[in-house]
Amino acid sequence: MSGFMGKIGGSAKAILFAALMASPTLAVSQAASPEVEAWLKAAELGPYAPEAENWDAIVEKAKEEGEVVIYSASGRIAELVEPFNALYPEIKVSVFDLGSVKTVEKTIREQEAGIYNADIVTTGNSGVVINEMLAGGMIYNYVPQAYVDRIPEENREPLLVRINEAIVIYYNTEANPDGPPISNIWELTEPEYKGRVAIIDPMTSGSTFMGVATIVQHADEMAAAYKRYAGKDIELTDGVPDAGYEFFARLLANDLVIFKSGSKLVEATGTPGQEKPLIGFAYMTYISKNQSDGFVNAIFTDLDPASKWVYPTFTAIAARAPHPNAAKLMTAYLLGSLELNKDTVLTPPFKEGKSMELLQGLAPYYDPGSVSPRSDVPLPPGGEIWDEMKGWTVSADFMQSEGPKLRDFWLLFSSL
Amino acid sequence: MSGDRVSGTGRIGAVLRFQAYRIANRPDMVIGVICLVALAFLVLGPLLEIIRDALSLQPYDLAYHPDGEVGSFSLFHLERVFVSPISKALFYRPLLNSLAIGVTVTAVAVSLGSLLAWLLVRTNVHFKGPLGTLIVVPYMMPSWVIALAWLALFKNDRIGGSEGLAAGLLGFQPPDWVSYGFFPIVVTLSLHYFAYAYLLMSGALATVDSELEEAGAISGMGRWQRLSRITLPLLLPALGSAVVLTFIRILGTFGVPALLGLPVRFFTFSTQIYNSINARNNGDAFVLALVLIVIAVSFIWINSRIIGVRKSFVTMTGKGFRRREINLGLWRVPLTILVWVFVLASVLLPLTILLWESLILLPGDYSLDNLTTYFWIGQGNTNLAYGEPGVLLNDGILNALGNSLKLGVSAALFNGFVGLLVGYAVVRGRGTRLSRWLESIAFAPYIFPSIALGAIYIGMFSTPLGPIPALYGTFAILVLITVVKNLPFTSRTGIAAMLQIDRSLEEAARVLGMGWFKRLVRIIMPLSASGLISGMLLTFITAMRELSLIVLLLSPSNMVVTGVIFYYQEQNMPQHSGAVALLLVLVIVLANVLVRLVAHLAGARSLASNAGA
Repeated sequence: MSGFMGKIGGSAKAILFAALMASPTLAVSQAASPEVEAWLKAAELGPYAPEAENWDAIVEKAKEEGEVVIYSASGRIAELVEPFNALYPEIKVSVFDLGSVKTVEKTIREQEAGIYNADIVTTGNSGVVINEMLAGGMIYNYVPQAYVDRIPEENREPLLVRINEAIVIYYNTEANPDGPPISNIWELTEPEYKGRVAIIDPMTSGSTFMGVATIVQHADEMAAAYKRYAGKDIELTDGVPDAGYEFFARLLANDLVIFKSGSKLVEATGTPGQEKPLIGFAYMTYISKNQSDGFVNAIFTDLDPASKWVYPTFTAIAARAPHPNAAKLMTAYLLGSLELNKDTVLTPPFKEGKSMELLQGLAPYYDPGSVSPRSDVPLPPGGEIWDEMKGWTVSADFMQSEGPKLRDFWLLFSSL
Repeated sequence: MSGDRVSGTGRIGAVLRFQAYRIANRPDMVIGVICLVALAFLVLGPLLEIIRDALSLQPYDLAYHPDGEVGSFSLFHLERVFVSPISKALFYRPLLNSLAIGVTVTAVAVSLGSLLAWLLVRTNVHFKGPLGTLIVVPYMMPSWVIALAWLALFKNDRIGGSEGLAAGLLGFQPPDWVSYGFFPIVVTLSLHYFAYAYLLMSGALATVDSELEEAGAISGMGRWQRLSRITLPLLLPALGSAVVLTFIRILGTFGVPALLGLPVRFFTFSTQIYNSINARNNGDAFVLALVLIVIAVSFIWINSRIIGVRKSFVTMTGKGFRRREINLGLWRVPLTILVWVFVLASVLLPLTILLWESLILLPGDYSLDNLTTYFWIGQGNTNLAYGEPGVLLNDGILNALGNSLKLGVSAALFNGFVGLLVGYAVVRGRGTRLSRWLESIAFAPYIFPSIALGAIYIGMFSTPLGPIPALYGTFAILVLITVVKNLPFTSRTGIAAMLQIDRSLEEAARVLGMGWFKRLVRIIMPLSASGLISGMLLTFITAMRELSLIVLLLSPSNMVVTGVIFYYQEQNMPQHSGAVALLLVLVIVLANVLVRLVAHLAGARSLASNAGA
C-alpha cells in the first residue's frame, strides 16, 4: 500500500484528508466470529495459511467440492466456464455476472444476512472492497503461493488484483484524419466541444466513477495542466474546491452527454460515417471493438496531464465460502498458467487452442486495454501503448472518504 | 368457597367454550385476524423499517460523519434531502419533473381513455368487439417497451453512433426535445396508461343506467344538462379513481424515465431512488421514498374529500337496466376510422419498430439486405453481440421467460386466493372494526409507488426476519412483493365478488351441515370465479411486465424477462432487447387469450351441464 500511496504525490489536501479518514473507516474491522475462524482454519486461509502450500492436495479437495460460485463484475468471466471444465470436468462453475455495483451490494447483503453462496468475488470499486469488505472480514485475500514471486507486491497486497484496466478517451479517426484533435485535456471544456463530449454515467458505472475520482484526486496536476494550456492560473467556479472537481464542473457545464453503457458510448464515438462524432471517456479494453464491430476508434495516448486512469479489478475468496479449495484453484486459473513467461509466443485467436491453455483466465482480457497483475506475461498485440501512456491511479482511502462527496458533487452539477 | 371456585372455573370454561364455538362459527373473523396480522407485517412493517433507516446514520454517511455511529439517530438525511446545497438536484428538481410528468400524463391518458371508453361503450362506432380486445394491448406492453421503440425511431446524433429510424429514413436529426426528456416520456407513458384509464372508465360507463338519462330528458333537461347533472356526477367517483390510480402509478414508474431521461440529464424521483440505492446510500433513498408515499396518500385524501366516495363506484342493482347507444349519425364513419387508426398505431407501431430492430444486422442500416434472423435463431457467433445466441435458442432468455411465467402464475394464484379470503372476511364482517381495518390495510400497498416498495423490501428482507429467512436474491421475494403490490386490486375484486353472493346461500349450506372449507370450495369459489379470474388475469399481466417494482430485487438467480430486456438495452444490444420485448408481449397476449378461451369454454360447459340437469 505504501508504494501505491507514494506514487500518487498529487493533491496534498486530498492525501491529508484520506489519511484522516482512513482510521475511522478501517476501525469497522471486526474480530472474526468463531464460525469464520473455524472456516479459515479448515480452508487454510488468512492467518492459517500454511508455510508451504500443498497444491496437489488443494486440487484434489477442489474436485471433491465439485463446484465454484463466482460473483463477477465482468461478464467475460463466463467465457471461462468451458475451458475450465475442459481441465477440471469434476468442478461445476457458476458465474453470476452482476456488474461492479451489484457484486459489491450482493456480497455485502448476503454476508450480513448470513447467506454464504459465493466462493469468489471479483470486482472493482477499491473504496468499498478494501475498506468495507476486506476490513470487515467479508472477503479474504488469497494469492496462490506459486504466483507470489511473479506478482509485484502492489498487485497482491492488501488484495490480489485480477486485472488492471483503465478509463481512456476515445475519438473517431475517420473524422480526425490528422490525428488526435486535442493534446491537453482542458480543451474538452471549450465551447467547440459543447455537447460533443461523452461519459458513461459514473452514478451507475463503478469503473467510470473510479476514473472520475482518479482525476479529482490529482487536482494539483490538473491545475498545472490548465496553466500549461491557458497560460494562467485556473479560476474555480463557485463552490468547487479544486481543479480536479473544476474539470468536471466545466465538462458538465459544457453539456456533457451521459451514456448508460460503455458499449453504446464507443459505438457513438467509433461508428464510421459520422459528421461530428462524440469524444468520450470509456473503458480502454473496448478498443478491441474496432475489430469486432467495425468501429474507427482511437485512444488519446499523449494527453496533458495524463491519458489513462487505471482501475484494478480485485479477486478474493468470500468469507465462509462453501468451496474454498475450488476457489483457490479458480484463483490460480484466473491468473493464467505457470508455464507462461515473458518469452512465450502467443498466437491469435487467444481464446482457443494452445494460447487458451497458457493464458487460461487471462485469455478474455488479452487485449491492449487490460493488463495482468503478473510481471511475466507477454504483452498482447498493441499492448505497448499501455506503458507509453501516462497513467494515474486512485487510492482506496480516497475513494472511501471522498466518494460520497464526489457523488454529491456530480449530482449537483449534472442536474439541469 | 371451593364449590364457588369450581363453578367459577366452570363458568370460565363455559365462556371459553362459547367463545371457541363462536369463533369456530365466524371463519370470517379468524381469516380477518390472520390476514390483518400478515398484512400489517408485510405493509406496515416495511414502512416502520424505512422510517427508522431514514432517521439514522448509515454506513455510507460515515464520509460526512467520520465519528458517527451507524444506526444512531440522525436528521442527516432529512437535511440532505430538504435543506442542503444538493437538495435542489437531489429532491426539488426531480420532484418537479415527476409531478409535471404525473400531471400531464394523467391528464392526457385519462381524457383519451375516457373518450375511447365513451365511444366504445355508449356510441355506435363500428367493429367494437375487436376494438375492445385490441385496445387493452398497450396495457399489456410494458411502458418502457414503447420507450424502446421511441428511441429506435427518434434517436438522434446527441447520443451518436448508429442512426435512428427517422434519421436513417428521412435524413434529418430529430431535435433533442423530441428524442429525450419530458416530451417523449409523456408520450410513451400516455400511450401505455390510456389503456389503463380506458379499462377503469369503460367499466364505470357500462354501469350507468341509460334510464336515468332518459328520465332527465323526460323532465325537460337538455343534452348538456343531462351530461353535467346526471352522467358526470355518476361517473365522477370512477373518474377520480382513474386519475388517482394513474397518477400514483406514474410517480413510481422507473423504466421510461431511466431510458429517455438520462441522455439529457432529466432525472425523476424514481431514477434518484434507484441511483441512491445503487450507491448503497439507503438513507437518501428512503427519505425520497417516504416523500413519494406522502404525496400518494395526500392525493388519495384530496380525492376522497372532493368526491366523497372512496370505495366502490360500481352501482349495480338488481333492477331493470338498459344501456342505450348514442347514434353518432354522420360522425359514425369518421370517428370509427379515427379510433381505429389511433388504436392500431398505438399497438402496431411500437411492435413493428421493435420487430424491425430485432431483424437488423448492423444497427443504423435500414436497407432490406441488412435484415437477418440471426438474433432470433442464430447459434451464437463470437463476432456478433458478444456471442449471445439468438433469442429463441438462448438458455438465459428462455430461463428468464420461464421465471416470468412462474412469477405471473404464482402471483395470480396467490392473489386470487388472498383476494378471496380478504373479500370474505371484509364482506361477512361488514360493520365490524376488523372488517374496516382489513379493508384499509389491503388498500395500503397502493400508496407505495413501485420503486419505493422495491426499495423497502430490499432493506427489509435482506436479513432474516423472525421466522422468515433472508429472501434477498430469491424467487420468493419477487412473488411476495408482486402479491402485496397487487393486493389492492385483487382484494377489491374479492370484495366485489363476495358482495354479490348473498349470505343466505351459505346459511342454507350450513343448515345442511356443510363445513366452512367445503362451503368455500363448493359455493363461494364457483360463484365468484368469473370475477376472480379476471382479477387474476390482471395480476398475471401486471406481474409479467413489471420492472419498476422488482428492478432492485433482481439478480441472476431470479432473473425475469423484463430484467433481461433492460440488461440488453443497457448493454447496447438493440436486436436482442427488441426481440425479447416482442416475445414478452406475445406471451402475455397469448396467455390472455388462452385463459379467456378456457374460461369461456368452462363457462359454456357448466352452463350446458346445468341445462342438462
